[in-house]
Amino acid sequence: MSEVLLHAEKIDKNFSATHAIDHVTLDFYKGEIHALIGENGSGKSTFTSCLTGIYHKDTGTFTLNGKEINAKNQVDGNYQGVAIIVQEIGTLSGLTVAENIFLGKENEFTKLHVKNTKAMNKKAQELLNSYGFDYIKATDIIDKYNFEDRKLIEIVKATHFKPQVLVVDETTTALGEKGRKELFNVMRQTRDDGRCVIFISHDLDEVIEQSDNISVLRDGVLIDTVKSSDVSTDDLKKLMVGREMSNNYYRTDYGEEISSEVVLKAQNVTVPGEIKDFNLELHKGEIIGIGGLSECGMHEVGKALFGASYDREGKVLLANGNEINDIKTAIDNSIAYASKDRDNESLVINDTIQDNICLPSLEDLKRNHILHAKDEKAFAEKFAKQMSTKMEGVHQFMSALSGGNKQKVVLARWIGKDSDIIILDSPTRGIDVKVKADIYQMMDTMRKNGKSIIMISEEIAELLGMADRIIIMKDGITNGEFKRSEDLKDTDLIAKMV
Amino acid sequence: MENEKIQKVPFMDRPIVRNVMPFAGFIFIVLLFTVLTGGQLFTISNLKLLLSQSYVLIIACVGVFMVMTMGGLDFSQGSMLGVCSVVICFLSNYNIFLAIVCGVLTGGVIGLVNGFFNVKRKITSFIVTICNMYLLRGMVAYATTKSPVYGVSNITTYNSMPFNLSFTIIILVVAFVVFQYTGLGNRLKAIGAGETAARFAGVRVERTKMLIYMVAGMITGLAAFINSIKVGSVTSTAGNQLETQIMIALVLGGMPVNGGAKVKFYNIILGALTYKILMAGLVMLGIEPKTQQLITGIVFLVMVAVFADRETGMIVK
Repeated sequence: MSEVLLHAEKIDKNFSATHAIDHVTLDFYKGEIHALIGENGSGKSTFTSCLTGIYHKDTGTFTLNGKEINAKNQVDGNYQGVAIIVQEIGTLSGLTVAENIFLGKENEFTKLHVKNTKAMNKKAQELLNSYGFDYIKATDIIDKYNFEDRKLIEIVKATHFKPQVLVVDETTTALGEKGRKELFNVMRQTRDDGRCVIFISHDLDEVIEQSDNISVLRDGVLIDTVKSSDVSTDDLKKLMVGREMSNNYYRTDYGEEISSEVVLKAQNVTVPGEIKDFNLELHKGEIIGIGGLSECGMHEVGKALFGASYDREGKVLLANGNEINDIKTAIDNSIAYASKDRDNESLVINDTIQDNICLPSLEDLKRNHILHAKDEKAFAEKFAKQMSTKMEGVHQFMSALSGGNKQKVVLARWIGKDSDIIILDSPTRGIDVKVKADIYQMMDTMRKNGKSIIMISEEIAELLGMADRIIIMKDGITNGEFKRSEDLKDTDLIAKMV
Repeated sequence: MENEKIQKVPFMDRPIVRNVMPFAGFIFIVLLFTVLTGGQLFTISNLKLLLSQSYVLIIACVGVFMVMTMGGLDFSQGSMLGVCSVVICFLSNYNIFLAIVCGVLTGGVIGLVNGFFNVKRKITSFIVTICNMYLLRGMVAYATTKSPVYGVSNITTYNSMPFNLSFTIIILVVAFVVFQYTGLGNRLKAIGAGETAARFAGVRVERTKMLIYMVAGMITGLAAFINSIKVGSVTSTAGNQLETQIMIALVLGGMPVNGGAKVKFYNIILGALTYKILMAGLVMLGIEPKTQQLITGIVFLVMVAVFADRETGMIVK
């Protein structure tokens, strides 16, 4: 192997109660794409955030080309040779494309304390062109561009100065086919220049395909570094969770008869600008999968059925003919909803686990019209434990939990409420394999107990693996419907999506 | 997985600190003024005086406590108390019960107006209630232009310690039971900590907010009754700066200024008493009103800084 480019020595970082990274020592070589993988909360992002100046490490040193570096912030990190493309949106609204690309580096274009905007725009446009993004105009306000284009602009922002180390943190989940291709191009180019890419992704196939070496983190500890050519996704999963994955990751049954009893019916549900004339009949004990491209309106379907959409037209009816028009009625009629936006819509993030689990069930918990604190605690503990939530206790605040554990609390809440119709939007988004398996297991159990599930998902494998019926949406309308079958291929679904 | 490493939580972030600090502050202030006034502050007669000055503040704190738990603010309380007092004093000349009922209703209507602009027109409570503070103060000034509004001549006969104390205690007990044992407290805290998520968990956020603004107004109507029987009349300055006193008191009691999950009911009583003792102590030490304001300002700022729940963010709803 070639020489070491970046050496991390005993990097350590604590977030109040959590030991996020535990004395990680790791080498990155010139000319490699080095993947970091691990469950949620294993410390991948924290590690790279410490490297690039987003966080400050507690102890340890980073040595780049034999020289210690210590990024005070992201721009400072850039000047020291490290850059990062983050998971969420990393560009600022209201600024032009050029201003975003050179954010914090305006001094490069100032003469006598006056910024030469023209020169900056010109330079930005040259850069965009050199990446092949000619259609993006440097002088445009960035809000004009969609999420994917903004990611591409971010790629330019993070790489135009040829950083020695480029961190790509879970960026691919936000990108479509085109964006991924561009990103992988940039990554490969960085490698071929003899620099280094640190690549973080949950998609293990993608990791093996794109990277040269893979390091696995678990609970902030470095477990192992392996060559990508020597491992399979199963090997990686084993390393990540520290035990064999069970075989029944998805459901294994096919051709089961679905009850004819309809529990929920949507008639011509329309939300202006989002979905149009959506119809659906959900049966008892059925899992319906709804898929499509991210902007196809499927996420709005979940909200519409839960009574949470503004300006919804059409009808959502229960078996008894009751209409669902607001959230409270939906919940009272045994409908549950777990949003894709976990931190804002599913959970009161600055509240305790206990309060989050009990909130919809407060009325049920009353004895003789009186709510007792100890009943709340027992209730929360019972269902948090049933979901094997990793926590110090139910008094702990949500904000201290990792993504997978947050989702477990969401599910614990609705299992506690004993809802019969469960709408899950992206239930496994950003969640590691172990928790994923738990969630699939739980869905299967619920189905067998006669509960009905609507699963909205951007993951095709999940739709194929879990749903009795799959509805594919495109541009706000239903574009295809499939029955569960072993012969159903991902390409069949994709054909209806685009 | 199981061998999770628990690290020490920084001192100021521990729940125990948030819970103990207000009590420690209370004891500190009691001890400080006991020493500084040579024990004079806590003679029986002074304590009685202190208590008699505290009823209005404690009662008014109850309503604002609920508003602030939801992450809102209410600056209109002082002027609201003035308007309610005008109504009560005026009507007491006809019938005392009519006066109470109409005083409470007046507060409720004003609360609904606050709620309407906050909830339906989506203006932050901070702005809405400041506007109403001026508007209502204008109304009080208008009603009292020529002379103060006098209550019926025997109105002050109600003003006795047993009556006032039991009146206040009943309000506190009712509010406590409703807050703690009906799930209302849980819902208000959830709204304060995350409104959207509370809505998605089935809390009727708009309705609850309207209700709480209304109830806060009605409770102030009750405080106005105590104020009226104490003073016997209303001048244009009735209830002046009560809103700031309430806020300082609640924060002294350990309430996070932005509400949310860390709110405790005892913040009301502890805060109101701490504030009143602090003020009485300063008066007794012969400190000028100007300097008093300066000192309360500093104390307020320090307490806000200590008790704000930074995770929730400084969002005023």
